[in-house]
Amino acid sequence: MKKVMMGNHAVSQGVRLARAEVISAYPITPQTQIVEELSEMCSDGRLSARFIKVESEHSAMAACIGAAAAGARAFTATSSQGLALMHELLHWASLGRLPVVLADVNRALAPGWTIWTDQNDTLSQRDTGWIQLYCETNQEVLDTTILAFGLAEEVDLPVMLVLDAFFLSHTSEPVDVPEPEQVDRFLPRREARYKLDVNDPRAFGALTRPDVYMEMRLQQQGAMSRADGVLGRLETRWRELSGRSYGAVEAYRAEGADLLLLTSGTITSTARHVVDQRRNRGEAVGLVKVKMFRPFPAARLRRILSRAAKVAVLDRNISPGHGGIFAEELRSALYDLPHGERPAVFGYVLGLGGRDVTPEVIGDVVDRTRRASKPERMDLWEGVCA
Amino acid sequence: MPEGIPPISISSTTTLENRTGSWKYIRPVYRDRVAPCNEGCPVGIDIEGYMNLLREGHADAACDLLLRENPLPATTGRVCYHPCEVACNRGHLDGAVSIRAVERMLGDRALQRPPPPSAQASGRSVAVVGSGPAGLACAYHLARLGHAVAVFEAAPEPGGMLRLGIPDYRLPLSVLEAEIGRIRSLGVEIHCGVRLGRDMAWKELEHFDAVFLATGAHRSRSLELAGEDVAGVESGLDFLRRVKLGERPEVGRTVVVVGGGNTAIDCARTAWRLGAAPVVLYRRTRAEMPAIDEEVAEAQREGVAFRFLAAPAGIETRDGRLVGLTCVRMALGEADASGRRRPSPIPGSEFFVRADTVLTAIGEEAGTESWPEGIGVTNGGVTVTTMGATTLDRTFAGGDVIDQPRTVAHALGSGKRAALAIDARMRGEGAGSSVDEAALRYGRLGNVSMTRWRADDPISRNGATNEVVPFEDLNLDHYGSVPRHEIGLLPLQESRSLAAEVNPGLPRDLALEEAVRCFNCGVCNQCDLCMIFCPDLAISRRADGTGFSIDYDYCKGCGVCNAECPRGAMAMTREGL
Amino acid sequence: MSQTMIRDAIPAADLMTSGHLACPGCGAAVAMRLVLKALGPRTIVTLPACCWSIIAGPYPQSSLRVPLFHTAFETGGAVASGIKAALEMRGDTETTVMAWAGDGGTFDIGLQALSGAAERDEDIIYTCYDNEAYMNTGIQRSSSTPWGAWTTTTPGNHPKTHPKKDIMAILAAHRVPYAATASVAYPVDLMEKVKKARGIRGTRFLHILSPCPPGWKCADEDSIRLARLAVQARIFPLVEVEHGETWRLSMEHAGSPVEPYLRMQGRFRHLADEQISQIQADVDARWRALERRVAASAG
Repeated sequence: MKKVMMGNHAVSQGVRLARAEVISAYPITPQTQIVEELSEMCSDGRLSARFIKVESEHSAMAACIGAAAAGARAFTATSSQGLALMHELLHWASLGRLPVVLADVNRALAPGWTIWTDQNDTLSQRDTGWIQLYCETNQEVLDTTILAFGLAEEVDLPVMLVLDAFFLSHTSEPVDVPEPEQVDRFLPRREARYKLDVNDPRAFGALTRPDVYMEMRLQQQGAMSRADGVLGRLETRWRELSGRSYGAVEAYRAEGADLLLLTSGTITSTARHVVDQRRNRGEAVGLVKVKMFRPFPAARLRRILSRAAKVAVLDRNISPGHGGIFAEELRSALYDLPHGERPAVFGYVLGLGGRDVTPEVIGDVVDRTRRASKPERMDLWEGVCA
Repeated sequence: MPEGIPPISISSTTTLENRTGSWKYIRPVYRDRVAPCNEGCPVGIDIEGYMNLLREGHADAACDLLLRENPLPATTGRVCYHPCEVACNRGHLDGAVSIRAVERMLGDRALQRPPPPSAQASGRSVAVVGSGPAGLACAYHLARLGHAVAVFEAAPEPGGMLRLGIPDYRLPLSVLEAEIGRIRSLGVEIHCGVRLGRDMAWKELEHFDAVFLATGAHRSRSLELAGEDVAGVESGLDFLRRVKLGERPEVGRTVVVVGGGNTAIDCARTAWRLGAAPVVLYRRTRAEMPAIDEEVAEAQREGVAFRFLAAPAGIETRDGRLVGLTCVRMALGEADASGRRRPSPIPGSEFFVRADTVLTAIGEEAGTESWPEGIGVTNGGVTVTTMGATTLDRTFAGGDVIDQPRTVAHALGSGKRAALAIDARMRGEGAGSSVDEAALRYGRLGNVSMTRWRADDPISRNGATNEVVPFEDLNLDHYGSVPRHEIGLLPLQESRSLAAEVNPGLPRDLALEEAVRCFNCGVCNQCDLCMIFCPDLAISRRADGTGFSIDYDYCKGCGVCNAECPRGAMAMTREGL
Repeated sequence: MSQTMIRDAIPAADLMTSGHLACPGCGAAVAMRLVLKALGPRTIVTLPACCWSIIAGPYPQSSLRVPLFHTAFETGGAVASGIKAALEMRGDTETTVMAWAGDGGTFDIGLQALSGAAERDEDIIYTCYDNEAYMNTGIQRSSSTPWGAWTTTTPGNHPKTHPKKDIMAILAAHRVPYAATASVAYPVDLMEKVKKARGIRGTRFLHILSPCPPGWKCADEDSIRLARLAVQARIFPLVEVEHGETWRLSMEHAGSPVEPYLRMQGRFRHLADEQISQIQADVDARWRALERRVAASAG
């Protein structure tokens, strides 16, 4: 059934359909509506779950960790400072191989205080061992919420699903809401491989010596490397059920393009529009949308990008002292391509702190990339007043 | 991927893999020691042991343990001067355990039970001369060890001083007779009216494998004053004997008793019961009185007057009738050999004390007329080894004929030592004593233990040593303050009777509470505290119920068990490390 | 009873194993042992960073025979909440979930999560075994360290200058249904409190004084004795608090002087007589305040 809803509520609906059992969260703009709606659902019976209204994001993640360790399906949502506060426990969830799902509404970090979007909050958590899925539309948000639980529980890793502040979180779009029975068939109740069980008492997380720690890390890495394939299989099933799928990486009008834009999140939608314009003008410009940032889909990107001469990466984030994070990740992914197949990667940092990335801005990126013979040593800042 | 490493840190085994016991440099051991009461008891009784059995609800077993060492617990439970209570560590906290009252309760209970078992007949026989506490004890222990025993008693009835010297209000005759009856029921033959050397020659005892001499000390010491033979002046012992035999002598109003021992107190209290107003004249002070404290206190309760630091200097008569004593005041000087300060008269301090009757109780001496010819004598007593062997072959001696304190307890203890030595000698086929005396004694100073001699201790012990537990070695934190149950005496108006037992003892329930008060010094009573407080769970109960095991694979040697042991039954040692 | 005969009061079965990695004489080991004896096997423990993170044994071991979840330092209250919620969602309302934290994880870094759980009245037992400093990291002061104590971060020439935080008052202010102090020296009292706590729903808080020989610089064998002296000297009164209002003393507190307790510990070695008098005065004042609380809730 199609409903018009904001991205935040698409998350809530996804969590409801996934029948999360334990939810724990702390309010933070612009995520708050997610948990407000979930509170409503828990209190009016639409969702049978224990909602632990904790005193901090740190405790929210801690409670999810406890719940997941005890075998339940656990969910939380946060943004920005909240996610940063959770940082320590993001590691805990992943190394504990606990399939917690977290929705992060991308919001830039303070100071100065800001509530608007950029990706630095989630990308700062790059190395915590979480799968990260960036969404473009509210429909994708809802679908990805459900997929996230399936993915997390299959590979025993936590999943962060990411949506842009306001551009998705507070923007209403028509969303097809699947029937609960459909989702139940897709996502049965969680059966944990390991859990706290008085009938099989074990200790979890005890002191781990150098002789085994790496083997556990290696298995975490192995699970990460399986995630792409697992997501693909889940999406195949999801498409059969809903008619929709997204892919870890999506190539849009990329065939024969000599310049490919690389985007994530809602910038993608704007970029699609620019690509359409340019294609209409006969320019061989295409688009690659990266949905899955971790594990980084390097193989897919190498396959798609090796046919282009130039790639312009639109990074709504910055690793200070280096550059746009997607651009860096991409460069390292492409580095081992043979000379001649390896496109030139042009990095553009833009849209930080919620600054609008308009078709004009993206158009400028296209034009600057076209003009340049080779990338600058540093990524370019786009749309900044000098 | 190495085999078997899971994706997460998840346990699959326990910390039992870690032999953390290797950390220790010192280790605890269970080391049972000796309770001071046991050492303090001249009879040599496992007092701590029966207290624990009682507390555990095994009253019959407690009786049995007591009867192993003491043939007359109902008697000693009434008349013993209870040095055990003086030694009791609880005295340093909130009052010694009322051991004598508990023993009395058990002794009375034992009289309702069948007599204890005896060992298989040995085919050996022993003659015991004298049926006072020493003779009875020797006879009893020998009988239980399987030997045939014949007792020869000069008096018409057995019991010696117990029958003729201790008033009924302290020791009812029925109790004594019942306890003697138990000894008889073990097969001991008691021949009364037979005085050795008069009615029977010593030679006639030659067919016995051994002889035990315990004829006692019946001769009162003289005041050595002129007029001691005047009517109205009598030895206290003769006076008590007459009363015990049913006479009710006319003593008049004022009875002066000379002396500070139990005979003196018995005389004074008996005189009170005959209607007199007795005065005890003693040359030292209350503190030096050898009489049992409670007896003195009870005498005071009954109105017996005491004149301390006073001694008779002359017997005053008028018309051949006693009128009183001239006395002299005394001063205490240096301590004498007994440790008591020696009294000496203050010149010119004479004073007169009126008296209708004077009873002398300044000590007794052993009569030598019933001693076998040629027996060695030291300090007026029969020469004996610590185990009672005299200078004559096969002849042993005990009780008041040897040089030891003249108490029922010491008499019982000497009878036991001799029985043990006789048993050893007979088992040793005539070879000399093979007794490891030190090992048989409770502590260094206590008497021998028949249980140790028989090596059939019903109480499991852990690495037992013969050290006595000092008060400082107890952990008092585990004992709340619980005052001693004081014994309520018969009301004064009912006490003026020669027959009514003035000290009723403790009712059974209160006696049991006294047993619970017992610290059980030095002996593990399985209170569990060591096990509970062990941070390493290295202590467990043995399956056979005999105590605890320490798993040294895991004991880190912290010593908490030893520190928390309430009763000093553990020790820390570097042995074996 | 003239002596502690505890064998009838304390079950023999243990839910903890030997070979754990506590230091010799560790009060925290005794505390866990007693608490688990009282709770029984239907218990899940979560353990924020503390000495017990080590005592419990390294992978692949566990010294507990109940499920155990190691977690980050400040998360005891929250992780326990999550575990309990999961159990409830799976229909298990009987299993006791216990957070087991040291004083650092309770008084300091974990106070927020504990406060949150207590305010929500989460159906958990939160036990703080209190050894009065960060012992696992090598004896650094915590807000539970008493005034005047030496630690490696409050050296002898400048010992701790602030009193121990009153954690019981903090929990009482949350009006949790049950909060109690206990001492490893009084195992029967301790276990009775644990059993009582087990029978109550909502957040239950247990504060157990657990002497630490290496950190307190005392003899290994004195740990239980010190835990007892602390109670007798009213330094660590044994109390129960119901709903933050009803304060009850658990036993007679002899009111013995604090000095022997302090003098048995090297961490107080530097104290001058007047400082000990000051501690005595402070203990006396706090005792009077406690008595007023007890009296007020009785009346």
